[in-house]
Amino acid sequence: MSGALSLKPSYYEALKRLTIELVGVKLGEEHEFLVETRLSALARKEGFESLPQMIEELFSRGQTRLAIHVVTALLERATSFFEGRKGFEAMGDILLPNLHQFYRGGTVRILSYGCSSGQEVYSAAILADKLADILPNMDIELTGVDYPSQALERAKAGRFTHFEVQRGLPIRHLIKYFTRNGEDWVVNDSLRSKITFADHNLLTDISDLGTYQIVMFRGHISQITSHAKARILRSLAGLVSTNGYLMLGCHEKPDDTNFWFDPVAIAPGCFKRREKQVEIPEPEPEPAPEIIVEKKPQQAFIPTEYRGNGTH
Amino acid sequence: MTAAKTCLIVDDSKMIRRVATRILRELKFEPSEAGDGREAIEMCRISMPDAILLDWNMPVMDGLSFLKVLRGSTGGTKPVVVFCTAERDIIKIAEALDAGADEYIMKPFDSDILGSKFTEVGLLNQDRLSQSSL
Repeated sequence: MSGALSLKPSYYEALKRLTIELVGVKLGEEHEFLVETRLSALARKEGFESLPQMIEELFSRGQTRLAIHVVTALLERATSFFEGRKGFEAMGDILLPNLHQFYRGGTVRILSYGCSSGQEVYSAAILADKLADILPNMDIELTGVDYPSQALERAKAGRFTHFEVQRGLPIRHLIKYFTRNGEDWVVNDSLRSKITFADHNLLTDISDLGTYQIVMFRGHISQITSHAKARILRSLAGLVSTNGYLMLGCHEKPDDTNFWFDPVAIAPGCFKRREKQVEIPEPEPEPAPEIIVEKKPQQAFIPTEYRGNGTH
Repeated sequence: MTAAKTCLIVDDSKMIRRVATRILRELKFEPSEAGDGREAIEMCRISMPDAILLDWNMPVMDGLSFLKVLRGSTGGTKPVVVFCTAERDIIKIAEALDAGADEYIMKPFDSDILGSKFTEVGLLNQDRLSQSSL
């Protein structure tokens, strides 16, 4: 199979390191295939004659813009509608009813962070629309955010292929929320208008995205290095409102270094934001010697049973 | 271990029946075949399958006529019926659903689509579909 590889072996490792450095994601062991398929297409689009030429350029000149495009292409996910179905069931059966009760209707904001070609956020929009009668007076606003990419452009267009609309999407939803356009199917304006899409460069701060009652970050966390995981969970915690929820993939959980979400899932992959952020204890300041001297006489007033006996 | 679910494939194309048979076997179904609606009715009278994968346009008796006869017959509400046809018109799809179809596959299809649709109607366990990764 090595005959199919076009790059010097060291470049595959270099691309793996670059992805870890930029976004903290570990590419799989056999990522050469991913590199070849995803990046060959990108090389053509970027106007290079070949994949090796683009990679030479990337590492010889260290262009940030090209690095972002390369990493984005490597991370693009193939998604399907209602993927991780138990998570959507939890959203409809538990999370949204809880939020409805808490806010007595009101506006609930849902963010799909890393929305790729949009199936996840459109699925959430369909679910919200179906629940409109059961959860009255609740306005649900949805936002899909991802790195600038072809997948995100497709999400914005709301256009899906014959094959994509048949993966995970019940036929009744297809005929209600989509219109056929040639070989493709396009999301109807009534559903499309509930969703805002935004480009989010992978090196920028995410705190300007606002706050949401539900943040979906599904299917990503198991690929992230533990160092980056703590950083990303902290950033995501800033986007989740009090009494809000973080939705990971059905089999994912925040790791033990997480201070921001209850560690026990209330439903598959669903974690509640802690009401008050647990303070990370500051290390005890080194006491200055003169203070100890001043405090010494006070020790005479401590009842004997509380006095240390000199052993610890 | 429970017995494999049975699925009757109704299609006048031998090639489609062969492809569907292969996919259904991979999904642990026990497939059988009929070349048109009339033949399918006869087979259902002998033994009602758990699922029916149904083409629309066929000689002798088309899929929609078959479905109406099936749903009106004794035990005919039991099988899960999934249309599998080249018809993509929303009006046609709605007509099939009104006549009692549970799901609808538009040709061409692949094993992912068939698996997804069968999961949709409860013929397959949803845990089979794990969260996809990179």
